[in-house]
Amino acid sequence: MTTRLTRRAFVAMTGVGAVGAVGLTIRFPLFGAPDAAAAAAFDPSPALTITPDGLVTVHITKAEMGQGVGTALAQIVAEELEADWKDIRIDYPTANEKYGLMLTGGSWSVNWTFDALSRAGAAARLALVDAAAASWKVPAAECVAAGGVVRHLATGRSLSYGEIVKRVPISKTFSEDDLKKITLKKPADYRVVGRWTPRLDIPEKVTGKAKFGIDTFLPGMVYAKVAYPPTREGAARTAVDDSAAKKVKGYVATVTLPELVAVVATSYEAAVKARDALKVTWDAGPNAAVSSETIFAKFAQAKEDPALQNWHEQGDVKAAMGGAARKHEATFTTDYVAHMQMEPMNCVASFKDGAYDIYTGSQFQTFALGAVAGALKTENKNIRLHQAYLGGGFGRRLEPDIIVETALIAREVKKPVKLIRSREEDLRRDFYRSATLQVVRAGLGADGKPVAWETTLVASHPGRRWGKDFVDKKGLDQFALNGADHVYDIPNQLVRAIPVETGISVGYVRAVAPNYTFFAVETFVDELAKLAGKDPLEYRLAMLGGAPRLAHVLKLAAERAGWGTALPANSGRGIACVSAQEKKTPTWTASVVQAKVDPATGKVQIEKITCAVDCGIVVNPDGARSQIEGSLLFGVSNALKERGTVARGALVQSNFHDYQVLRMDEVPEIEVHLVESTEYPTGLGEPGTTTVAPALSNAIFAATGARVRQVPLLADRVLAALKAKA
Amino acid sequence: MATLLINGKSRTVDADPDTPLLWVIRERLQMTGTKFGCGVAQCGACTVHLDGAPVRSCQTTVAQAAGKKITTIEGLHPEGRHPVQLAWIAEQVPQCGYCQSGQIMAAAALLASNPNPSDTQIVDAMSGNICRCATYPRIKRAIKRAAQGGKP
Repeated sequence: MTTRLTRRAFVAMTGVGAVGAVGLTIRFPLFGAPDAAAAAAFDPSPALTITPDGLVTVHITKAEMGQGVGTALAQIVAEELEADWKDIRIDYPTANEKYGLMLTGGSWSVNWTFDALSRAGAAARLALVDAAAASWKVPAAECVAAGGVVRHLATGRSLSYGEIVKRVPISKTFSEDDLKKITLKKPADYRVVGRWTPRLDIPEKVTGKAKFGIDTFLPGMVYAKVAYPPTREGAARTAVDDSAAKKVKGYVATVTLPELVAVVATSYEAAVKARDALKVTWDAGPNAAVSSETIFAKFAQAKEDPALQNWHEQGDVKAAMGGAARKHEATFTTDYVAHMQMEPMNCVASFKDGAYDIYTGSQFQTFALGAVAGALKTENKNIRLHQAYLGGGFGRRLEPDIIVETALIAREVKKPVKLIRSREEDLRRDFYRSATLQVVRAGLGADGKPVAWETTLVASHPGRRWGKDFVDKKGLDQFALNGADHVYDIPNQLVRAIPVETGISVGYVRAVAPNYTFFAVETFVDELAKLAGKDPLEYRLAMLGGAPRLAHVLKLAAERAGWGTALPANSGRGIACVSAQEKKTPTWTASVVQAKVDPATGKVQIEKITCAVDCGIVVNPDGARSQIEGSLLFGVSNALKERGTVARGALVQSNFHDYQVLRMDEVPEIEVHLVESTEYPTGLGEPGTTTVAPALSNAIFAATGARVRQVPLLADRVLAALKAKA
Repeated sequence: MATLLINGKSRTVDADPDTPLLWVIRERLQMTGTKFGCGVAQCGACTVHLDGAPVRSCQTTVAQAAGKKITTIEGLHPEGRHPVQLAWIAEQVPQCGYCQSGQIMAAAALLASNPNPSDTQIVDAMSGNICRCATYPRIKRAIKRAAQGGKP
């Protein structure tokens, strides 16, 4: 797939750029020509518009997929704007270059935009105050803004923001430097940020009115179904016979392109019937015999491959390992994980007068625009990508595959086309979290503390499929490795990695690499504590001198969970702490999992998770709790249930009956503690997820003395570990 | 042609008798509050009421629904202020929101037949509805709130 994402955009994406330089770029000099004031809306930046009716619309360029991002970002703007919250509205604009990099993922949204949106709100407020003061011929310094009104304190005169926009010329402009110089409020003075604020998207989500991509209708719209190949990658089409499809009532057309073959019909069910009647012959290709067994065999070879690259390195592991008093080694594996977002992938596209209108929920509009333009051989400007609510994202909607397919079909049939994948298609065409194999070795000093740590990490790297902008010079995707570079004080460290192609497409699934890297790190640290004869909590704390905020949440979670108090037989507590999602922008998170193991069956029940989180400033406290609850339970689902297996070059599982996810009957008690902080905010959508599997593995060990090093921690694996111990 | 009684209104649609009710509601009548999730009655996103009982509309044919009272999320309450909907807002339940119509329809049917369900009864009634965002703790709290007349 051709992409047109620039290097600069990727630098911004990886967080290498300064905080102010990513997300929304504010170009104030464009606004407010004095003579244009009457009746015009005030658009001080791409982030917001104030209309003469006094309403403030905050333009949310992040995807709303359940995080409540629209409300949180609007709170940030409203805080510095000194708007009245009841005047705040949000919308999700059509993709446009003026919004900069349009990407939602990595728990980055608040982290990337907090400063820029604060300054956008503050600059708009300063401009409004300036305009009001000028109209009264008084110094701006004598005026204050609060609750959406500017007041001149000495005379008691006032103008609402709406009245200013309606009647008063607004002329103040801000350069990038001016924006940087604005003094922002101190957290102690916040009135919107950090306060309980109901989410703006919830009322329409309880009445069925919220519009997701799948809820799009266009006049004259037809339905397409694609005939997908039998293997995930590498199959070739050899023949297409649509004679039977043509006889289906409602059949419109067959679209046969190098990229795909599809049938178009007047209704969804007619399209399904016609597609099922289509006879497509495939050469299954080189991956026809690929299975979970062949993939893990390949991984086992790869861990010895001389092509392994050093990704993270400090000190001299070899020398330190040689001088270590004791050594320990363990191998960890994780299986494929699917997104299983509730809204199957879908898209509506129309092609008219050389331009495409595309309706879907995208997590990565910038990438999608480039992908569609590349595939359709057109320019980005000819594509209008309209954003809807996402019925779950979890990384699935970073991928533009369904958008490209729909646009191709729309181009051929010259009618608006709706493409909805069935759940089976959605699962078989997913981009899975890679299966992984990690070998971890450590050397301990005489005091039991590690002096050397070495991880060998074998996985498929999604960035390699996305293109060279998404991997480093060694061909490694940092998002397949993050977390292996943990924050423990260990003088000598080495993380070696090798990306392996398997024929099974991989992508980014909620909490991404830290799901498997921290599983290995945090389980292995527990093993080292046991070797050293130390309490797992104390052992960790002794290595967290360089990460005091992580030490704090670790202690907090332990204390609230009753760490060290007695539990019945076959029950245990396990602990884990993480610097997810990335070492540079960590949300310090620690969880204690309390679990019960049935020694006869190996079945595990999580009874309670106690989680402590320090993400810096919390913008929306209830939304934050909701994200932490959800991320922990996503982790429970991953840890206990989700196992994607491969046979004949494709995922074996096809729907929720054989790819099981967490339901209400297995939900444990959840207790969340958010640390009050004035530090710059990080993110909350993912870090909790990464704590669950290791804390659970450690809880199983505490309960039974058996160590399980495979995720998911299925009953048969637990039982095998119990037998191995006995 | 089939005639269906949806939210108190008679609707005639051009659909074969074996067409799943879901696709008629969503794609023909464009009442999109009812959601497609799995197509095999495994996730509950498509839950509607048939004569008051919760059913999976993806596995209910037009022929099976004809002559019965069909209620969708749009018809649960004229202003969207059914006690379950109000409790859902009070507990700030939805995240992505996609499964929530089905969750709310399942919860409303539960409370209609059992106004004060125990924890076990809630879990039994709701475990057929998947929420991938895992809003389950809040769903449970909201059902209890609705059962207690809106009090937490």
